[in-house]
Amino acid sequence: MLFVVTEFIGNFHPVLVHLPIGILLFALVLEVLQTNTKYQSVAFAIPITYLTGAIAAILSCITGWLLSNTGEYNESTLNLHRWMGIAVAIVSVIGYYFSVKKQASISKYIAVVLGILLFTTGHFGGTLTHGDGYLTKAFSATNSDTLFVPKPITNAQEALIYKDIIQPIFTEKCIKCHSGSKQKGNLRLDTEEGILKGGKGGAIISVGHAEKSEIFQRVSLDPLNEKHMPPKGKTALTEQERLFLQWWIQTGIGFSKKVKELDQPNSVKLALTALEKNASAAIIPSNIPNELVDKANESLLIDLQKKAVVVLPIAQNSNYLSVNLINLKTLDEKTLSQISDLKKQLIWLKMPAIQLSETAWQKISTLQNLTKLSIEHSNITDKQLQYLSELNQLQYLNLVGTAISSKALLQINGWKKMRQLYLASTHLVTSELIAIQSKYSKTEVDTGGYRVATLVTDTQLVKAPIIKK
Amino acid sequence: MSKHNKRIIQEANDQVLQQLTRRHFFKESVTGVGAMALGSFLSGCNWLGSKDGSDLLNSAHPLMPHAPHFVGKAKSVIYLHMAGAPSQLELFDFKPALQQLDGQDCPQSLLEGKKFAFIRGVPKMLGPQAAFKQRGNSGAWISDNLPHLSTVADEISFLKAVQTDQFNHGPAQLLMHTGSARLGRPSIGAWATYGLGSENDNLPGFVVLTSGGNFPDAGKSVWGSGFLPSVYQGVQCRGEGDPVLFVKDPAGMDRDLRKASIDAINEANRATYEEFKDPEIVARIAQYEMAYRMQISVPDVMNINDEPAYIHEMYGTQPGKASFANNVLLARKLVEKGVRYVQLFDWGWDTHGTDERGAVDYGLVNKCRTIDKPITALLLDLKQRGLLDETLVVWGGEFGRTPMQENRDGKKNPFKGRDHHTEAYTIWMAGGGIKKGTSYGETDEIGYSAISGKVTPYDIQATILNQLGFDHEKLIYPFQGRSFRLTDVYGRVINEIVA
Repeated sequence: MLFVVTEFIGNFHPVLVHLPIGILLFALVLEVLQTNTKYQSVAFAIPITYLTGAIAAILSCITGWLLSNTGEYNESTLNLHRWMGIAVAIVSVIGYYFSVKKQASISKYIAVVLGILLFTTGHFGGTLTHGDGYLTKAFSATNSDTLFVPKPITNAQEALIYKDIIQPIFTEKCIKCHSGSKQKGNLRLDTEEGILKGGKGGAIISVGHAEKSEIFQRVSLDPLNEKHMPPKGKTALTEQERLFLQWWIQTGIGFSKKVKELDQPNSVKLALTALEKNASAAIIPSNIPNELVDKANESLLIDLQKKAVVVLPIAQNSNYLSVNLINLKTLDEKTLSQISDLKKQLIWLKMPAIQLSETAWQKISTLQNLTKLSIEHSNITDKQLQYLSELNQLQYLNLVGTAISSKALLQINGWKKMRQLYLASTHLVTSELIAIQSKYSKTEVDTGGYRVATLVTDTQLVKAPIIKK
Repeated sequence: MSKHNKRIIQEANDQVLQQLTRRHFFKESVTGVGAMALGSFLSGCNWLGSKDGSDLLNSAHPLMPHAPHFVGKAKSVIYLHMAGAPSQLELFDFKPALQQLDGQDCPQSLLEGKKFAFIRGVPKMLGPQAAFKQRGNSGAWISDNLPHLSTVADEISFLKAVQTDQFNHGPAQLLMHTGSARLGRPSIGAWATYGLGSENDNLPGFVVLTSGGNFPDAGKSVWGSGFLPSVYQGVQCRGEGDPVLFVKDPAGMDRDLRKASIDAINEANRATYEEFKDPEIVARIAQYEMAYRMQISVPDVMNINDEPAYIHEMYGTQPGKASFANNVLLARKLVEKGVRYVQLFDWGWDTHGTDERGAVDYGLVNKCRTIDKPITALLLDLKQRGLLDETLVVWGGEFGRTPMQENRDGKKNPFKGRDHHTEAYTIWMAGGGIKKGTSYGETDEIGYSAISGKVTPYDIQATILNQLGFDHEKLIYPFQGRSFRLTDVYGRVINEIVA
């Protein structure tokens, strides 16, 4: 009970600390003012200002001391903050003494010392609540909120259960509040000792019994429950992550064991293969280049937009561009050359049903960075398709409803990165499509022609039998 | 400005002036002074918040395309809403244990503290009224009511544990589509077009198509723009006759004359805008211009006669007869033309068992037959056109149905039916960067309540925006002194089904 009361009183610390800061800084202002003969009368107010400031400082020290006992804070910063805070209280009492004695020459210096102490104590206090480097966070290029990307796991059985599977979960979801710099509930999840020791309420893991382990109970609660971890507003653990955590506790929290050394229930086996799959999914190249690119010429973009060319960054945080010519039936030379001036940034080009000249198709083939090209229902011919074979970055090509032949497609050299090729409604026959499919073995070739057979039941109505009353 | 138009504007001004009297002068002077004072207060309030979501709003070109927050997987959305709420227990949520309880009294534990729309007293349990099988490689349970959809099960991600807190159609539909059970909020489509604009100059960004003989209970507010400028509201197109009323010029009015009159109106509007600076006037001008272009483009895109025979065979469409199938085919055409958000409502899924049409073993089966083929065709057609990856298809109702048989006012209904149920229902998504062939969320043995993987309408909305490339917490619009968003203060992207 005593502990509860002291913690309750301690919680007033964050409110109270602002009083001595304000009052004592005001004492400093008065000290400066009274050096000017015009304002000498303010000297009268200095002792009372010091006195109230000192009382507030002492109260802050008491509540602060009680709060520090909850042990949620980084020890070394806490010590600095604690003793400097006490120094503020002592110095303000001294300041009161000399101001009563009307020894302005001494109290002036005391005020300066007090000012410095206030700023540093305040800063350490801020570090305790908001974390390291909170003050300059806005200036630093790497925001601490940047996404944590775990290393992909290609072979789950060979992976280390703690280091490769459990620790990344803690790192992503827990250690912002439970690590060296901030230990909410006196719990650290960034070290093995911390995990084994537990927090304020004792051990958080009951080895072999996930359901009895506080850590598993807390992450499994309804997300709206006050006790749910991570707290409201933070990203909760996924079902898969909870499953791994549960499994890790059930199998005896091995810190250095490999996955294959542990018993794997079916659900875990499935989740492990899903991990591998995710890893392989991550290996599939994205259709956005990794290299950064300069911003495209703004006036060029505006000019193109005026011509009803939809030209847009692929996202607000990227300089890569997508162009959609849905509003145009054809391209004049000027517009085309303006588009080709964007070839560094342009990665997605959509030109449904476009009618282009021979030279225009040639020009399209100079758009070297294109990863997606949609030219369905366009007037492209076999010959012009050969130009496009130079587009080495292409991953998606939509040729639906064009007049290309299988010969042209089989002749293409290049397109090594092609992943999706759409050929529906072309005039290709089945045997040709098979040849194309075998040439582009790594590509998903969609030849369309899907049918949904009509069933008898599709147009029939079911009726209830008529019962005479 | 032509001499002619000048005269028109002059005349409009004269008309206004003629109606002004001395009393107007006094009234305006008083309110004018008050408004000036208020205006300075308000602008004073916003001095910190000027860099907010309203950047998106370019009042001269409200539908100008924008880039999303991050690279979105989906470029457009087709939302198929079965108004009235289809029974998950006859379609996707297979509960063999419920069959065992068929005809028995509902246990008191399920009724205590609960409120139902129509069930009173102690109802009987009602087993599944359809045969289920596992389909495709994913093994998704789909009933025989949807034989065609069963063949594309591996394209779909099911959400089996959706929960809402509204058990009446209107509020529940509003919650589903606007993030609030009460009127006044913009719909998902309005937010999407506000965020992304429209790529096609000649078509609206947000089109609504309805079928089933009735509008959804919530009325047109489910595709409204709420406090967003009205240019973002859904444009409702009709399935029969002219797709938009009065889209054709009347007899004797040629295209040039139409153009001239719209120019004159717009010039008058522009003059008014110069005077009052109300952005709604600019929106009005843009709407007139869009309407003029739509006179050509809409009849063209809304015409399904030119589609090849195999497409009609595939969707089961019959040109000229309004139907859900026609709307689905239109949705595909619209998306192909760059429309961002196509919202379909099909009415008639409210299966209480009060009549044959509302029986889970008759009316529901017949309703399923009208949607099964077209929806399956839609998924396959989008796929073969290379569009499924960038088109998010969402299917669902506004709530679920009870595992109990409805006993309206304590009396047995003439047919087998189920009451409205908020605690568990199924919604599915496909395409648009959603995982293929998965299922998330589980209900208990009888499908009464969700036991894991619960999601809410807000989560669905957050996920739709996420697929379009938006952080649902950052797509905001300042209104009445604060920033609003679709998901209010809720919403979680359902990452479990995002590829």
